[in-house]
Amino acid sequence: MRAETLKGHLDGILLAVLEPGPRHGYAIMEALRVRSGGQVDLPTGTVYPALHRLERAGLVEASWSAAGGRRRRVYQLTPAGRRALDTERSTWRDFSAAVTTLLEPMPLAVSSP
Amino acid sequence: MSADSQPGAGDVPVDGYLAEVTARLPGPARARAGIVAELRSGLLDATDAHRSAGLPPAEAALAAIAEFGDPAQVSAGFRAEIAASQARRVAVSLLVTGPLVGLLWIATAAASHLRAGPVLGGHWAAPFPGMGVGIYLVAAAAGVTAWGALAGIAATGRLTRWLPVRPQRAPTAAAVAGYGAVCADGLGLVLLAAGLATVPGKLALLPAAAAGAASLVRLLLAGRAARRCLTLRASLA
Repeated sequence: MRAETLKGHLDGILLAVLEPGPRHGYAIMEALRVRSGGQVDLPTGTVYPALHRLERAGLVEASWSAAGGRRRRVYQLTPAGRRALDTERSTWRDFSAAVTTLLEPMPLAVSSP
Repeated sequence: MSADSQPGAGDVPVDGYLAEVTARLPGPARARAGIVAELRSGLLDATDAHRSAGLPPAEAALAAIAEFGDPAQVSAGFRAEIAASQARRVAVSLLVTGPLVGLLWIATAAASHLRAGPVLGGHWAAPFPGMGVGIYLVAAAAGVTAWGALAGIAATGRLTRWLPVRPQRAPTAAAVAGYGAVCADGLGLVLLAAGLATVPGKLALLPAAAAGAASLVRLLLAGRAARRCLTLRASLA
């Protein structure tokens, strides 16, 4: 999946990846790849501005950590981020259920004998 | 960027990539430094991942760079963030300093009136012609400043959770606020100069000097901030 396909859903996806716990930028990207079975393949560099945007909106908070000898910026969900994720999830479920139904081939009209 | 596979040669392409990203980033060096540090640690993590997958160091670094994508695209994403955070900072400082400078002017007026004597009767006679109009203009400029600053804050904060905001909006609003402050403070200084020229004896000099100095500093800083916001806005196009 390219960036254009994901447009509009990247925020929700990033929040979902952070739901289990705090992660730094590259770990977020790896989790995206693993959780999507390799389907999501964004340029890694574009994930960082998106994380900064979520931070500005108060949905995630970031702090520098020096674990393992390398300074990394670690992101975690805020309470508002959790709520936004819940909303995103239920909106997506309703939307995808409706579109799935609409895209299914119509059953052919069976003529009764 | 060379593809030689000398061990430890990974730093050279990583630094080159980071230089390409930063060359396109405007704004203060401090904001850039944080972004570069974060991208660098990400690139080193990616290099480690490719090395664990079996690539030699230099090739691992090149693979990490390829994975991070076009530096132009990365810096475009960060330009919007830099513009937003700078615009927010400008808007907040204008919103905070406005009332403080305003209070100094009000104190000046109050102190001068006390010295001027009988203005308590309700008939307010302007000490010099045009002062009434001038005060209205200052109030209008202060209103524009407050409106622009609030719009800039709204376009960069929590509201963006629900409202999609074009990245140009915040620097535009902050620039409007900045030029509004330039007008308000400039008019205040003009009124002060007019007062000094026409009725020098009536002015309480100490508060007038404080208010004038505060407005002059704010005028200069607001003008510079507004110009910067317009530059940031242009960098988003």
